[in-house]
Amino acid sequence: MNFLRQLRGELRKLFGRPRSFMGYGVFVVMEALILTVYKFGRGQEYMRDLIERNGYSFATYFSSLSITFMIMTLSMFLLGSVFFALVAGDIVAKETEDGNLRLVMARPVSRLRLLLIKYTSIVIYTFTFVFFVGITGYLMAIAAMGVDGGLFVMEPKMKVFAVFPSWAEGAGRLTIGAVGIAISMITLSSLAFMFSCFKIKPAAATIITLALLFVDMILQNFPFFRPYEEWFVTWRMSCWLFLMENQISWPKIFESYAFLFGLNATLFLIGFTSFRLRDFKT
Amino acid sequence: MLTVTGLHKSFGGKPALLDVSFSVERGEIHGLLGHNGAGKSTTLGIILGMVAPDRGDATIGGISVQRDHAGALRQVGAIFESPAFYEYLSGWENLRILASYSGPFDEKAAREIVDRVGLTKRIGSKVRTYSHGMRQRLALAQALLPEPKVLLLDEPTDGLDPEGIKWFRDFILGLRAERGMTVLFNSHLLGEVEQMCDRVTILREGRLVHEGTLKDLREEAPVYEVDLDPWEQAAAFLDLNAAQILSPGRIALPPDADPAITVAALVGNGIRVSAFAPVRRSLEDLYLEITAAR
Repeated sequence: MNFLRQLRGELRKLFGRPRSFMGYGVFVVMEALILTVYKFGRGQEYMRDLIERNGYSFATYFSSLSITFMIMTLSMFLLGSVFFALVAGDIVAKETEDGNLRLVMARPVSRLRLLLIKYTSIVIYTFTFVFFVGITGYLMAIAAMGVDGGLFVMEPKMKVFAVFPSWAEGAGRLTIGAVGIAISMITLSSLAFMFSCFKIKPAAATIITLALLFVDMILQNFPFFRPYEEWFVTWRMSCWLFLMENQISWPKIFESYAFLFGLNATLFLIGFTSFRLRDFKT
Repeated sequence: MLTVTGLHKSFGGKPALLDVSFSVERGEIHGLLGHNGAGKSTTLGIILGMVAPDRGDATIGGISVQRDHAGALRQVGAIFESPAFYEYLSGWENLRILASYSGPFDEKAAREIVDRVGLTKRIGSKVRTYSHGMRQRLALAQALLPEPKVLLLDEPTDGLDPEGIKWFRDFILGLRAERGMTVLFNSHLLGEVEQMCDRVTILREGRLVHEGTLKDLREEAPVYEVDLDPWEQAAAFLDLNAAQILSPGRIALPPDADPAITVAALVGNGIRVSAFAPVRRSLEDLYLEITAAR
């Protein structure tokens, strides 16, 4: 009960900060822009070409579900990561910098409990953010294109191709995919969280996290590293795409999520060790 | 109620505390004094478990902060200079969040404390709209939730106006009178310490240079204003008898010296004694003497 009460307080702090909502606003604007491109621009021609070249009906698969999938695939890793890094990078470092943490640490709460509460809150934030993007993206897509239609999935880099002709199946699979994205993005939040536990400025935690993420993404795309791509964190984070296959290959997914869970636990432990050993002078 | 024993701490090889030990009895208001960098904040940090000592221990109500952090801090409320609240939340939300780390939030008790610190009308406002005085009142309210046995005050009256300082002093004295609360009070405002504290601990460059009552401190080297003639002969006599000449007409006797015997001896040596009166020194005088001398 205590943990839940404290978590509620932590969430109140997290969602009370205007900065936590910055990402929500930016994503709504970006979703509107993507929709405009697909509805009226050359994006529609591109989609027609893509769908018809694969032998499927444009009328069936140029749908709100397919557009939502595109929005989530295109935006979450590049733009979403900025906000996850910003929020998770702030969660300990900003409170240390502002001095809020002293009032909390003068309470009978262990440092491990304190970090567990904060970590749980960023996991919740990550999930709510991904689902916010998914739901608002879908609602806006419905407003622009209507409810009906199947789901067309194509991601050449991860070699994923699938079609779901029925709306129900497509919507279900997209929901599972969103859960997968959220689980993948927890790794990014964990990385920023770890840096936030160090004795550094909140902005530094955010910048270092993003720098590592982008270095990982860039290196992964070098031809030399192709044979080793499975060792890159961002490749593992993209494993949610396997959830979109017609026949889900669970072993591949479990392997990648086990890798990510192990990494998350390690990042938490490193962050905790650093935080536990720190002196917080009054 | 609160004991620190043999505290040693250094930062980057530079010693901050060197074998500091003192204790605060139940119901006592204890002042912790020292210049900037003397080790006061480090001491408070160790008592609150925010700083790990290299050696030594702090206990609250017999529970070691190092071994049972939560058990020890369950008895403590703390206030810091310029307390940092969550500015974008209301005072009430801040109280609720901070109190949640100590246990269930008792809304009725919280309302009473808010009323008592005089924040009832503004408790629903965002903290960013509070004045410094209101923040200190909110800090006091959070420190009193749930009811602690020990209050640790780190420069709580810094930046307050005279009315605020008086209100704060009366409030703390009232708490002690009502609840027998133990208070460790770290302040630069020596006048405040003098009016509030039963005992003081003085630190200098990480070492303890005095622990005791203000009376002890005054009696440690009582000072007298004297009018002696001839002065040169009197000074030589006093010097031989372990008295300290502070300035012409001002002397300090050893703690065990009886001033009546000293006066009789001066007269017996043919010195005319026109005045020999004890000087009541303020804590500031005593503090400056101690920190300069040792």
